[in-house]
Amino acid sequence: MIIETTKCYKKLLVISLITILFSFAGCSDTPSGEDPNEMVLHHVLYTKVPSLDPGNIRDVYSMMVCSQIFENLYQYHFLKRPYELVPLLAEAMPQVSSDLLTYTVKIKKWVYFQDDLCFSGGKGRELKAADFVFAYKRIANIKYLSQNWSGLDGKIIGLNEFREYTKTFSKIEDVDYSRAVEGLQTPDDYTLIIKLKKPWPQLTYMMEDIAFSPIAKEAVDFYGKDITSHPIGTGPYKLKTWRRGSYIELVRNPGFRGELYPNEGEPGDAEAGYLDDAGKRMPFADKVVWAIIEEYQPAWFLFLQGKTDASPIPKDNYGEAITENRELTPKMKQLGIHLETFSDPSTFWLGFNMQDPVLGKNKALRQAISYSIDREKFIEIFFNGRDIVAHGIVPPLLDSYDPNIKEKGFARYDLEQAKSLLQEAEKFYGGKLPTLKMAIPGTDTFGHQLGEFLRRSINATGIEVEVEYMDWPTYLQKMNTRSVQMFCSGTSASTPDAQDFLSLFYTKYWAPGSNSFNYSNPEFDKLYERIEVMSESPERCELYRQMEIMVLEDCPAAFLNHRVAYALHHDWYKNYKPHAFAYGLSKYRRVDLAQRAAYKELLKQVK
Amino acid sequence: MITYIIRRLLYTIPIVLGVLLLTFTLFTLVGGDISLEIAGKNASKETINEIRQEYGLNKPLFLAWDSQLVNHFKNALTFNFGRARDREPVIDKIKRGAGPSLALMVPMFIGEVVISISLALVIAFVRGSKWDVMAVVLCVAGMSIPYLSFILFGQYFLAYKWGFFPVFFSPDLAPPQYVALPVLIGIVTGLGGNLRFYRTVMLDEMRNDYVRTAFAKGLGTGTVLFKHVLKNAMIPIITQVVLAIPFLFLGSLLLERFFGIPGLGYLMIEAIGSRDYLIINAMTYISAILFVLFNVITDICYAFVDPRISLE
Repeated sequence: MIIETTKCYKKLLVISLITILFSFAGCSDTPSGEDPNEMVLHHVLYTKVPSLDPGNIRDVYSMMVCSQIFENLYQYHFLKRPYELVPLLAEAMPQVSSDLLTYTVKIKKWVYFQDDLCFSGGKGRELKAADFVFAYKRIANIKYLSQNWSGLDGKIIGLNEFREYTKTFSKIEDVDYSRAVEGLQTPDDYTLIIKLKKPWPQLTYMMEDIAFSPIAKEAVDFYGKDITSHPIGTGPYKLKTWRRGSYIELVRNPGFRGELYPNEGEPGDAEAGYLDDAGKRMPFADKVVWAIIEEYQPAWFLFLQGKTDASPIPKDNYGEAITENRELTPKMKQLGIHLETFSDPSTFWLGFNMQDPVLGKNKALRQAISYSIDREKFIEIFFNGRDIVAHGIVPPLLDSYDPNIKEKGFARYDLEQAKSLLQEAEKFYGGKLPTLKMAIPGTDTFGHQLGEFLRRSINATGIEVEVEYMDWPTYLQKMNTRSVQMFCSGTSASTPDAQDFLSLFYTKYWAPGSNSFNYSNPEFDKLYERIEVMSESPERCELYRQMEIMVLEDCPAAFLNHRVAYALHHDWYKNYKPHAFAYGLSKYRRVDLAQRAAYKELLKQVK
Repeated sequence: MITYIIRRLLYTIPIVLGVLLLTFTLFTLVGGDISLEIAGKNASKETINEIRQEYGLNKPLFLAWDSQLVNHFKNALTFNFGRARDREPVIDKIKRGAGPSLALMVPMFIGEVVISISLALVIAFVRGSKWDVMAVVLCVAGMSIPYLSFILFGQYFLAYKWGFFPVFFSPDLAPPQYVALPVLIGIVTGLGGNLRFYRTVMLDEMRNDYVRTAFAKGLGTGTVLFKHVLKNAMIPIITQVVLAIPFLFLGSLLLERFFGIPGLGYLMIEAIGSRDYLIINAMTYISAILFVLFNVITDICYAFVDPRISLE
């Protein structure tokens, strides 16, 4: 037995060493098995994609992938600024009745769903107006538990009644979708009529949103709950492989009708090369591959190795890429890397729960906190000085942004003023203020740094703050149950209309709705109900600004920053014009294969 | 012996049921209602009620044939783990993640055990010498450096800078290619602790009379170390090694995350982060089964390597 054990151990030792040696010998950074003549876009997603079923997605990453597979009636013009909607599956922009209550949309003919087993004979069938109606009814079906229902709730005649009807079933598949909804009509296969309860000017944006894109009933019936991983759309690409949490590979949809690259853009586009492909048939790339990389270091290395086409700049690598003059470093220039900077329509804030007995009634206290934060220092420390100070709610990219908002001084850093306001606040409270609690979503280093910065800033005035770091579900639960005092949060605009930002302060949307501040101002609510049904006009823009000032005066939040995105891309990656709202951009991108092939040599020289 | 094994296997049943009861208590009584989280922002009360219905949260907790407790046990015992938050069957996630996790953990584990035992034998033999001191210092240093530092260093120099390994997982790469660097890092990081443990075990054996007798009888160093000392040190080695095997199934969170290996460590941490109780429950349950099974295997192995132990 002893001899056998020893022999066995020696064998194991030899086998292990050989295995390890062989593994390491064969693992050098060999080029991938990719066909060099095949045009592949290599992208990165920084978080997992939960679903590819458009009706029930709301996260950016799922939308990015779904937007290459699915299409909606309209899309944003790729090049023109200010942002403009143009027809995609629609023949033209909708015809709107004079009372603004009826929208009629003609749908393009000869648009086909991709081939799939769910269709008779495996051949994709033609898109019909009924597919849109089915998609809307599906979102209304309560058994489907769509996160997008709030977008349609109370808007279309008869759709809420349809939702009530779906409550009578115990199983999702038992719901009869042929049941008529007055506000959704299809007089023929290529005409969609939507009748509204009250004017809803944002409807055209809904017709662009990929979550409301048409879906084939055959696919939903065929795949059942597995529809989340079987996206069947009409777009330029179709899913080939989705290894959840790892990578997603899309290939050209051979049945795609084709679309032409835009012929016009904004001034400067031609010089920047964005019109080099004008009038050419899209999509250009044969494949789109997303690697899911949740850590910034490997994603950055892959970009520098030329294995991905574009990348944001991780905070820790900022100095490697950008100089103090906000230009590319010589190394980046040598590698042929380009920098694109663009304003992201987002706002971040330190919010106050207006229903909190200490904070809610004490405006001086809220203002003292707001004046105690040095926003420029905050941006320098946390965003390498890239972002801009948020003086209000509406970010600069949107039409209703008030260019004079800075002068109104709501976001100024004034410690003396903060201290004097604190005295006022204590007088109002009737003594020394208790320790305030601040909720930070995230237990990682960034969360701790952020919490510590804000705690120290507020503490400088004499206000005691305790920071509570929590994971996202706990944070969400506390916000939904209105049990936080102060909280860090933010949002990005999904459309060029600032109404989304204003809706954050509407009383009807108190938590668990989008009004996490639980702010209520009857005057504001009246104005909100007015603008809700107004079409874009100078009058509406003026009301937006008036409402913004109303909120800033009440100080339900200390607004911190608007994001400015810095993105890098390789020389070979063409038509990379940043877009704040559109996701379905892969069809425009092109890769110069010769330039990409030459990069490896270039990299060696630079190294 | 068979009676012993059957008896031990029967003992495992209450342990596994206890784990199930514990997970149920934690997830339902302590963890609270998850319907609000699933519903997300802007969800109406009726949507939340629907979610409660779909996940069976509207049913009584105990004292009913269709209670949440009964369903919890029924689903676990039939390996019906349900669907995760993203609607994918939990069992599919586990099946898919097990391969990459084992591809990473098994070579790492074998390499770590074989190398550390071999080195421990040699170091124990030269105990007190400068080599021994140097090894102990290196072990302590290795144990003191954070795991993440090894990953960042390895990925930067070995993969990115010198190009010996791929930086990240890619579907075009074969498993030996994409797991090589993480395996190497895993072996190096694990070596310090293991080497110190096995060195202590070997030193205890080296001090025994039979070793001196063997050398006095003129046996060679290799024979004494690998034939006699190793054999007699097997009990603590088996305890350490066999009980570590079930944890291989759980993968390695950091290595999987930094190198993009779609394994179970990653899955588990994501599930904890998003409170996907169905995944956590399934993983805990499977781990518990594996753990108690390997406990039984450990006991059986004792009898094989040490004739003084009999299974009765």
